[in-house]
Amino acid sequence: MPEVSDRRGRELRVKIGGEAGFGIKAAGQTLARVFLEAGLDIADLTEYPSLIRGGHNDYFLRVSQNPIFSHVEDVDVLIALNRETVDLHLDELVEGGAVIFDPKEVSPAGWLPSGKIRPVPVPLEEFARQAGGAIMRNTVALGAVLALVHFPLEGLAESLRVQFAHKAPEVAESNIIAAALGYHYVSKNVPDFWLKPRGIKNAPKQLLIDGNEAIGLGALAAGVGFYAAYPMTPASSILHFMAKHERDHGVVIKHTEDELAAMNMAVGAAFTGTRAMCATSGGGFALMNEAFGMAGVSESAVVVGVITRPGPATGMPTWTEQSDLRYVIHAAQGEFPRVVLAPGDQAESFELTWKAFNLADQLQTPVVILGDSYLSDNRRSVPVFDLDAVTVDRGKLVTEGDVAQHPEALGENGEYLRYKVTDDGVSLRAVPGVKGALQLGNSYEHDEYGYGQPGESAETRIAQNEKRMHKLDLARTLVPGPNYFGVAPADADIAVLCWGSTVGPIREAAMWLAEEGVPVAIMQIVTMWPFPAMEVADFIGDAKRTMIVEGNFTGQLQGLVREQCLLDVDHSLHRYDGRQFTPERIVAGIKEVLADA
Amino acid sequence: MPKVADFETALTPTWCPGCGNHAMWRALKETLEELELPWTDFAMVWGIGCHGNGADFLRCQGFHGLHGRALPLATGIALSNPDLKVIVEMGDGDGYGIGGNHFIHSVRRNIDMTAIFHNNQIYGLTTGQASPTSDQFMKTPSTPGGVIEEPVNPVGVAVAQGATFVARGFAGDIPHLKELYRAAIQHEGFAVVDVFQPCVTWNKINTFKWFRDRVYKLEELEGYDPTDRTMAFETSMKTFHELTCAPDECKVPIGVFYREEGMATYQDDLPQLTAPLHKLADSPRDISKTLEAYAG
Repeated sequence: MPEVSDRRGRELRVKIGGEAGFGIKAAGQTLARVFLEAGLDIADLTEYPSLIRGGHNDYFLRVSQNPIFSHVEDVDVLIALNRETVDLHLDELVEGGAVIFDPKEVSPAGWLPSGKIRPVPVPLEEFARQAGGAIMRNTVALGAVLALVHFPLEGLAESLRVQFAHKAPEVAESNIIAAALGYHYVSKNVPDFWLKPRGIKNAPKQLLIDGNEAIGLGALAAGVGFYAAYPMTPASSILHFMAKHERDHGVVIKHTEDELAAMNMAVGAAFTGTRAMCATSGGGFALMNEAFGMAGVSESAVVVGVITRPGPATGMPTWTEQSDLRYVIHAAQGEFPRVVLAPGDQAESFELTWKAFNLADQLQTPVVILGDSYLSDNRRSVPVFDLDAVTVDRGKLVTEGDVAQHPEALGENGEYLRYKVTDDGVSLRAVPGVKGALQLGNSYEHDEYGYGQPGESAETRIAQNEKRMHKLDLARTLVPGPNYFGVAPADADIAVLCWGSTVGPIREAAMWLAEEGVPVAIMQIVTMWPFPAMEVADFIGDAKRTMIVEGNFTGQLQGLVREQCLLDVDHSLHRYDGRQFTPERIVAGIKEVLADA
Repeated sequence: MPKVADFETALTPTWCPGCGNHAMWRALKETLEELELPWTDFAMVWGIGCHGNGADFLRCQGFHGLHGRALPLATGIALSNPDLKVIVEMGDGDGYGIGGNHFIHSVRRNIDMTAIFHNNQIYGLTTGQASPTSDQFMKTPSTPGGVIEEPVNPVGVAVAQGATFVARGFAGDIPHLKELYRAAIQHEGFAVVDVFQPCVTWNKINTFKWFRDRVYKLEELEGYDPTDRTMAFETSMKTFHELTCAPDECKVPIGVFYREEGMATYQDDLPQLTAPLHKLADSPRDISKTLEAYAG
């Protein structure tokens, strides 16, 4: 059992566990909305196996009056919808933490009585049946947890109406009754609990959103016109999001026969000047690789979401890992420029996605959004996205008129040259339908027009290859730089290097360490390719002691640092069990290193 | 409107003398001229193979894609710009082998586009291996003991999968082929044109003479009804032939096997596809209403 930290009382950590099919995640998100409405900061975490019914599911919710950056290990209130939840998660409960359970479902044998646990028996099933059906056990429990922590019930009714908005109105009303039964029972029968979170009056509005929704919103804001995908966890929810908004935003969404088709279709749509995107996980990206390379050689502006999970092959579909960084940076045969952006949280998922479309157009080359299951599946409260900040920059794109109006793009005989060699490597891109814009997009090496046969000459190959690769120089001037958190590296006891979603738990850990007087510097690399070697070298060079935290076995970022900066870090922390780092683990890892120093 | 000569590039075709691709190239250029299609109104897509080298010889708006992936590439074009007529050329290994999955699904979608298959029953560009339409028992460098499996029946697959236009041509009969091209391009829906295009270098069995001795036109077959799907399927089965069969033992039907006009195309069911989708990115999209669902 974890010790009660000094964060006790400032925040609430609830875990709901039960069998898959119990509506664990839906119930948890309903509870999360209650606290969001009350102005609190939220981070959640859903754990589930790759099946539809049976197996264990759990949903973790962390709520705080202060800014938070990730989930944590400690649980204050455990809602055990079955006995397995007690067996699996009781050791996460802090001393004095409560367990809400139905004595008819969860026997006390083996864990009660306990001086360290506050049992809160509630007849969940009986109340659910009274309200209209046993399925509403989870809703009764939501009412119970709010009563336990003295939080008003009103917000839950509203949140339940949101949860069941797509069903008959009676469904929401029955659930509201179920919640009220749980609430009043606990108010009347359970003595005061030590945790009493309070809402914040007039707090600025926030969004409660997961990474995939944020990516979908970013694509919509950018003016995406075509989205193609084949379902693959954990990227499928982007497809669902896009399909849901297909008609109201005029986007064409295609659920394809396979990922090969998805990537090829995206390249086809990009050929017409449409902002095109596809997304998948590592396995699907493997199938996309050849067409990903074609996007490179044909200078197609496509955006590809790669939302990773533990591999290889089918791996662990519903869990998280950062083991595809090297793969994405090197994917496809041959050499071509690409940009790889790795968002660290939900707000960045939105921002980097709309920026990815601009970069793809400006550079006329594929841009990858590299996310992971932790980011895509879980929700965080983030400031409302700044829609006024969104810009559309289509680079050297021409979609109407006559190509003769652009003499810089014409050859000596007046013919349009789609792949004309330029100083920055980017050519005028006049799309089919523009008068005179005859062209040949090509998967072969090609000449300035696009013809493949002359592309085999050594001179043409060199000219076109160099033209494309020079775009990386332009890319370096356009891509987002790293994020820095905490103190400056020179002032830090330890400087931590990271990328992607691990930045959340690392920032959380750094905050805790700062409270203990341990200053930490954090560098989150955002653009993974082209690699920001100078910035990384500066960060490492300024630091007294360095560490990389990454979710893989082989140290993929560390390898890149060695290769790109000819430098190394002093320590590394890895995790590859399908779970995200917790701040607790990172704090322990850093303390261990500092103790040895 | 561009004429036949305008569709030719400065590059000289590299196909072997006598290759059926020359005839298919000519048939296509002449059909495009006769249809009076302006350059801005259509896009060509090619897969990889001997046929695909034709991308260098046809002057137009086009894309020379990957081996086996011409159909999804073309689908991306067709589903993002309704102003473009899309014509796809593929080979037999390209379209029925490595790209077979896309073939099946493109047919059932009834996407409004034309798919022309250069079927020479052999892999030409990779020097003569068996293709998915090679006859059973045919000996090639990859099948020295003879092909074990049955050939793919592309006409039958398309008919069975709900195609709305399925035809087969022969490169040795250009006027007939042009009729099929014209009908296919004008058809509203997914039009399949499988063309026997003998490879003079690697396939010494299914030669021009072999076909000349055996082809007959469905248009001239008494009682043939190209709107009868069952009849079309049964007729497609007659295409199977063995290497030893004599001209009077096996005949090869060409012409329109099946056509069904007035069926909704895939694009018909996309009301959002009324103009080129690149217009959606003229400025940032207003997503403020969509965002509300996530706000506290």
